[in-house]
Amino acid sequence: MRDAYIVGAGQSKYGAFPDESYRSLFATAFEEAIESASGVGPDDVDEAVVGSLGVGGRQLGLSGPAVTEHVGLHGVPCSRIENACAASGYAVRQAVQAVKSGMADVALAGGYEVMTDMSGDVAKYWLGVSGETEWERLTGTTFSGVYAQMASAYLDTYDASPDHFSKVAVKNHANGAKNPKAHLGFECSLDDARNAPVVADPLNLYHCCPTSDGAAAVIVASEDVASTCDDAVRVAGVGAASERVGLFQRDSYTSIQSSAQAAETAYEMAGLGPEDVDFAEVHDCFAIAELMAYEDLGFCERGRAPELIDEGVTELGGDLPVNPSGGLKSKGHPIGATGAGQAVEAFKQLTGHADDRQVSGAKVGVTHNVGGSGGAAVVHVLEGGVL
Amino acid sequence: MNAIAGVGAYVPRLYLSADSYREAWGKGGAAGVERMAVPDADEDTLTMGTEAGRRALAAADVDAGDITHLAFATTTPPAGEEEATVRLASLLGVSSAATTRQYGGGTQVGAVALAATLDVSGPALVVVADSPQGAPESDEGAAAGAGAAALVLTEDGSLTVDAVGEFSDPYPGTRFRQRGQRETESIGITQYERDAYTSTVGGAVDALDVDVSDVDAAALTSPDGKLPYRAARTMGASTAQIAAGTVVSQTGDTGAAGPFLGLASALEDGAESVLIVGWGGGAGATALSLTATAETPVDAVLDGDTELSYAEALRRRGTITGEEPEGGGAYVSVPTWRQTIPQRHRLVAGRCRECDSLAFPPEGACAECGSLAGYDDTPLSGEGTVEAATAIGQGGAPPEFVEQQQRSGSFAVAVVAFDGPDGEESVSVPAQVVDSPVGTPAIGERIQAVPRRIYKQEGVIRYGFKVIPTAAQR
Repeated sequence: MRDAYIVGAGQSKYGAFPDESYRSLFATAFEEAIESASGVGPDDVDEAVVGSLGVGGRQLGLSGPAVTEHVGLHGVPCSRIENACAASGYAVRQAVQAVKSGMADVALAGGYEVMTDMSGDVAKYWLGVSGETEWERLTGTTFSGVYAQMASAYLDTYDASPDHFSKVAVKNHANGAKNPKAHLGFECSLDDARNAPVVADPLNLYHCCPTSDGAAAVIVASEDVASTCDDAVRVAGVGAASERVGLFQRDSYTSIQSSAQAAETAYEMAGLGPEDVDFAEVHDCFAIAELMAYEDLGFCERGRAPELIDEGVTELGGDLPVNPSGGLKSKGHPIGATGAGQAVEAFKQLTGHADDRQVSGAKVGVTHNVGGSGGAAVVHVLEGGVL
Repeated sequence: MNAIAGVGAYVPRLYLSADSYREAWGKGGAAGVERMAVPDADEDTLTMGTEAGRRALAAADVDAGDITHLAFATTTPPAGEEEATVRLASLLGVSSAATTRQYGGGTQVGAVALAATLDVSGPALVVVADSPQGAPESDEGAAAGAGAAALVLTEDGSLTVDAVGEFSDPYPGTRFRQRGQRETESIGITQYERDAYTSTVGGAVDALDVDVSDVDAAALTSPDGKLPYRAARTMGASTAQIAAGTVVSQTGDTGAAGPFLGLASALEDGAESVLIVGWGGGAGATALSLTATAETPVDAVLDGDTELSYAEALRRRGTITGEEPEGGGAYVSVPTWRQTIPQRHRLVAGRCRECDSLAFPPEGACAECGSLAGYDDTPLSGEGTVEAATAIGQGGAPPEFVEQQQRSGSFAVAVVAFDGPDGEESVSVPAQVVDSPVGTPAIGERIQAVPRRIYKQEGVIRYGFKVIPTAAQR
């Protein structure tokens, strides 16, 4: 199979936008992506794959073609991927497959979500569709509850405290404050993050990501096309895996096996390992998820994630910055856009366009996108400066 | 003829003191009542009846699967129209082939159900549960309690029914509930109501043709704590006999269940002969005289241990809270729910036909070996260990649980490793936790399953199991 490259990437600001629609947000992301892809225009797009969970609590059967028609991609085959919070991470994977297989020379991958135009009650009804509904949800848990159970098991198993969750929040807010696209682009103190109201013990409000509106898009192209572009990031490795949807049915409550399996596949394809990674965008919907991601992605041994956060290894100036964008915690989590949004950040980092939050000397980056509480996961290893 | 082989009783752990009621209303409360049991938001006559039924079966050492006749008596079934007994049978594990009878109408029905079950071919189970409510300012509201009792009947039971007496005389307006209403009322004509009670209770006891002075205890329907004593003279009983069979002062008005909670209490105290009198608004009465040929096993919890403020009691009862919010999205349909009733009611796990490992729920490919060979039913005992846990704070609950959270506050949820049948293996299941004293249960804590309401949607109440820390189980 031939190589695939990301040659352009863009996203809307993440946040609450009562004056925008899912289509207008996608248009913003698409325009920025096309603009950044020198040498590639809308007419070159052969295939489009987009991710979303729904639109404002509504299920729209053809929201994919609705966004591509909105940006003028008439006639382009478009499909919508639904894998909960990993929807557009999988969309990127599909676009890469299309290019690698030769069915497309230029493929658009993106995602969108509008989450702030429904009441809190409706939002909870809606978000529940991504979990294990028949048993977990009907014990009275939503995602915060399931991740809180993982957090309880992690605290019980390893040398960790809720302060480690708070430190993840402080780090990601510090990074997000440098990102003009972030939903919660403010810094927070450790005391802020320690003393927030409890959502699901041991997780408090600062250990949870916000619900956001937003869209993201990347342009994936073949080597021939990429060689004509100013910037190109090689998709060196792709890995994806699924896992039992319900936490109670899994072998481990302190790791997400689909993440670990996806990472292993992606590293193997890339011929690279975690030791080669310069930065990562990981799925930190809850602070415990970021700590588990350090371990699932091989950045440290099991149970050692608290040391990484204690020692500042994953801060922007550390040896292995994680979530330089601010992550889901600060940048925001518009479900369908999140995975593609991680690829947007990785593209910017690997092409040196990340401004104040630039990871110096970034050559290899990893994106890690999880659906639900781990029922689906997708990992990309991206390499800059190879063309 | 059947005789009683075992008795079970269950009274909710929450209670309201009469002092709190008096403080809130600035007036008397219910005569002779010191505490009123308050069902939690996820308790009703079916869950309380299941608790009592399980205790009675355990006391009598009879397997639920051997019960051939199940009688359920209540004036407050969960639904105005629907065979509650069918669901009670499922919750208890009584066979689908067993005959089921539901008795309702007035608080006399427990005694009526017992009398009617004496001649069925057993083993039989009689469950009497009630949770009457009244307008908060009314006498009925002031007394409202809750509880359930159950009796296992077998041919060789140790507590025989010697005689049954009936008496009725129409006294309209004495304890009634209007169609479609939740609250029991009376017209409040004091002497008229006393006469209705004492004359019909006395008439039923007369019809027994027994020497009342010989019995150890008399257990009467107790709308309050004074009426049973007012009937003493017409019955020819002493106040000591009434006191030995009356628990209303500690439970409040438990409607049809009252005489049977009194029976459980009297048996625990060593009574060998007991008079049961069920009285219902209207007025009719059914009396039974019981004599023990041997000690009758009793498994009863008759006292609450958690006091509520008056406002909390109103919340728990749902008097001042809203209902489930509107919404869409994630939704488990009733037909889908029904497919898992064996798991939800009786914790039926599965054993993989290929590799023998346990699965819960028993469906789909085996997690251990991937086989699609299917599973053999393997009921779990209901005991297990907490593996992961959280407490869901205000605002964190799915919409289905919003009403419960309004009524009962934050709740704990755990992943529980339930013990397998051989005690060496386990299978993990998520479960809501009731009565966790410290909020979030500790990992490693032992728990056991209890029957509870899960939630109501589209007007249909869904029942299942929750878990209680073993240390907190009464």
